[in-house]
Amino acid sequence: METHQFPLPLVSLSILLPAVFGVGVLVLPERYSKAISVVGSGLTFILSLVVIYLFDLSKASHVQFYEEYVVLEDLGVKVSLGLDGLSLIMYLLTTLVSLVAILWSVRDHQINFRIREYFAAFLLSESFLVGVFTSFDLIVFYVFYELVLIPMLFAIGIWGYKLKLYSAYKFFIYIFVSSLFLLLGIVSVAVQHYVQFGKFSFSYFDLVNNTYPIGFEVFLFLLFFIAFAVKTPLVPFHTWLPDAHGEAPTAGSVVLAAILLKMGTYALLRFNIGLFPEATLTLMPFLVAVGIITIIYASWMTIVQNNVKRFVAYSSVSHMGFIVTAMFLINMEGMRASVIEMFAHGLTSAGLFMIAGFIYNRLHTFNMESLRGSVKFMPLFAVITALTAFAAMGLPGGSSFWGKFLTILSAREHSYTLALIVLVGAFFSAAYIVYMLKTLFLDVREESVLIHFRDIRGYKLVSFLFLVVPILLVGFFPHLFFNMFEGSVSLILKEILGLERVVWK
Amino acid sequence: MEIRDIIGEIQIPNVLAFLPEIVVLVVAFLLFTLDLILSPQRKRSFLPTISALGYTLALLSFFISSKQRGDTFYGTFTNDPLGTLIKIFEVVITLTILAFAQRYFTHRRSFYGEFYYILAFTLLGAMILASSYNLIIVYVSLELVSVGFYILTALMRGSFISKEGAFKYLILGGLSIALASYGAVFMYIYAGSIDLREILTYRSEDVHYLILGLILFLIGFAIKIGAVPFHFWLPDAYQGAPTPVTALMASVGKIAFFIPVVRIMPLIEERFSFAWMITVGVIAAITMIYGNLVALVQKDIKRLLAYSSIAHSGYMLAAVAVTEAIGLKAVVYFLVVYAIMGAGSFLVVAMLERAENWNNTTYEFAGLRFNLPYIALAFMVYMFALLGVPPTVGFVGKALVFMALSFDRLWWLAFIMILSTAISTGYYVRLVVLMFMKDREKEVRIPGGSLFEVVSLAFLTIMTIGLAVVPGVVWVLIESSTETLFAR
Repeated sequence: METHQFPLPLVSLSILLPAVFGVGVLVLPERYSKAISVVGSGLTFILSLVVIYLFDLSKASHVQFYEEYVVLEDLGVKVSLGLDGLSLIMYLLTTLVSLVAILWSVRDHQINFRIREYFAAFLLSESFLVGVFTSFDLIVFYVFYELVLIPMLFAIGIWGYKLKLYSAYKFFIYIFVSSLFLLLGIVSVAVQHYVQFGKFSFSYFDLVNNTYPIGFEVFLFLLFFIAFAVKTPLVPFHTWLPDAHGEAPTAGSVVLAAILLKMGTYALLRFNIGLFPEATLTLMPFLVAVGIITIIYASWMTIVQNNVKRFVAYSSVSHMGFIVTAMFLINMEGMRASVIEMFAHGLTSAGLFMIAGFIYNRLHTFNMESLRGSVKFMPLFAVITALTAFAAMGLPGGSSFWGKFLTILSAREHSYTLALIVLVGAFFSAAYIVYMLKTLFLDVREESVLIHFRDIRGYKLVSFLFLVVPILLVGFFPHLFFNMFEGSVSLILKEILGLERVVWK
Repeated sequence: MEIRDIIGEIQIPNVLAFLPEIVVLVVAFLLFTLDLILSPQRKRSFLPTISALGYTLALLSFFISSKQRGDTFYGTFTNDPLGTLIKIFEVVITLTILAFAQRYFTHRRSFYGEFYYILAFTLLGAMILASSYNLIIVYVSLELVSVGFYILTALMRGSFISKEGAFKYLILGGLSIALASYGAVFMYIYAGSIDLREILTYRSEDVHYLILGLILFLIGFAIKIGAVPFHFWLPDAYQGAPTPVTALMASVGKIAFFIPVVRIMPLIEERFSFAWMITVGVIAAITMIYGNLVALVQKDIKRLLAYSSIAHSGYMLAAVAVTEAIGLKAVVYFLVVYAIMGAGSFLVVAMLERAENWNNTTYEFAGLRFNLPYIALAFMVYMFALLGVPPTVGFVGKALVFMALSFDRLWWLAFIMILSTAISTGYYVRLVVLMFMKDREKEVRIPGGSLFEVVSLAFLTIMTIGLAVVPGVVWVLIESSTETLFAR
């Protein structure tokens, strides 16, 4: 993989910028917290747009804006930051959704104590998340990957709902313990590099050169896979998610669903497939099966929820199933579907969680049926909800359409049966979204309760617009986004996996 | 033998290589004398000041001694990078502990002038232990450290558990020294030498005596470092001892007792490396699992940290099982950083114990963030460091141990380590959650913190993160000590 430097350290700047503002929020008096956070995350978002503008799309598979700082010569640890197309789209998602989460929190009634810590937690998590998506050194990646846990632990544990402490524990223990396997995997890969090349290295560019006996490669693959499967999450490792997402404050759920889960799928694509191509091909049927089980099981679980937040949480799991299934179908359509769905799901799940948060703000309950008949009193909210929900369902013009459509297309390249199974999964997702919309807005009118409620406005509306516009952009102009990551994805397919197309074994 | 030959054999010892030890020795005698002649009021200000000045001087003298590498005193004292690294950490941590000791003892109304010179002698013993291959010297300095610890543990006026802890420590410590010296005898029988380097490189058909000797020696030290199933004294002694002394035992004590084992590591040869790996590995596995499981149910914070210290002995022993350069690096790094984390966490407890109505139970930590935000922050850093969350030293230590285990393909031990770290998540995170996410149970106020105390705690906390982000500072010495140790 080629690297290009840039005169300004833009990537480390966009890691440091939110962190600096986060520390500023902690130090300065509480009345400035909101302003500082909005400015901080806004500036980071603008910086990310500048980076995208400067990014050379004709060399999208190369690592651009590359920076390197040696930490420990002896063990080959160095901070190497950069952006290739795949990182770029995740980086854009991170800065966008973090801004949305912070904008939303400005007027969130739930957040009325320990405000400084709250905004600092979100700014710090933004900084660490940018670190996750831009690190090309595995140990530094791991450091950021773990660091994200801490602000999220605090966000769930302090500002969450009823079961907040239980959920915070569960979240931390699941992710921390599973990522110990990842740590073992990372150091083992580095040790293998030492055995084969005579020096330790944690750099992705060096480690892709390693070769292993197939049994050992599968073992290493699984060490990485356990961590990312819990993070993603895949059934049966998903049980932390409904609790964590259900009990976190709205902005916390937004960041968790939109970005944290993508850490898992991003890493599966970059590290599991990139470092262990043989093992990927060997385990392919198993991985696709896990993905499909996740889609179907999580869809069923979604339909039976009547807590709107847990509903959205389970629907996230089923979308993650689509991403993983598409990724491990190992062909161009699948890879494209997987990455565009990561971005699209980031937008739609953020929107859906904000809808849940809005309902709670107005009604102080998450019960879906309590809002019945509200379309008359909150038309704008209903329109936004419908737009987000249809986009999540996969209606053409919405962002998730491309993910689902291309997944089915890619499954068809293997066999029609497989395509049919994926189609059934897509059908379930349509079913639960329609069910949700019906329950929330149509049904019987209960005007006496709802008549006092004001429609969505102000900061919340603005934060929704930040999501709705990109959702439509992805839906109508997908090539804008495909252009970003296509180079990286085809690099993984052609050079690392060494093939144009794999047929189902 | 002609008298001329004997005179010719006499070397002039290279005193400069021994300078820090001499400084500490002089300080110890000075404190001893002053303790006899000064009035009680003056002792309170003079003894801590002189100790602090003396240790600072000892620290400065490392600039001179580190240039004088090699053996001296007829090969009984070795001045190598490993020794220098370990001794610097021992002295620095003793200095920070000194900052907390005076207020603590004054608050407990058990100020003894003896504390200061016994502390100095203990430090001296630990320093010599870190730099010798000679079995006799190891034995003598081991006794010096141990006797110091027995007395320091008992230094709490009117406290029964302090005496009980000291007594248990004395009995099991005596047993450990007996076993270690018995092992030393077998090693002497095997090779006819009391130098560990000569013993382990001696070639002979019959290795029974060597293996017997090594096992006894290892068990002796396993008792001292609190490896399961030889750990029974440790929680009682850690709980009973005055908390600054507990911090000393968890840091300087742990380093000192580990170092002779670490020095044996590079000398383990191919023919018994498998036996070594299995023995040490099994002890390590049992230790980490048991320590973490028992820590999970502790209500007393000092006992909890004591069991966590046992578990950390297990992690370090796991790296000791790997007799490669990477294993040595891992164990040395983990040792020095555990000294920082262990000392820091116990010192926070030492500060909290000065608060009114403080009973050392874990639930008293609830809402500590509202009462003492900075102390809660420091304690959180230690908890995350002990758990191994990046970017703290505990994480780098664990990563290095994993690296070592992966190097020797000891997967079973790596998985046991993951399992035991998973268990430990329960109690470390619980403390963080209590401090930051629960409402406060009661007012906690610490009367009269001193500047020296605050600076020491801040220093330890910053080091807990700093040595992980910029590991190069200690890595220079770790790398060169590995090179010198494996060069033979």
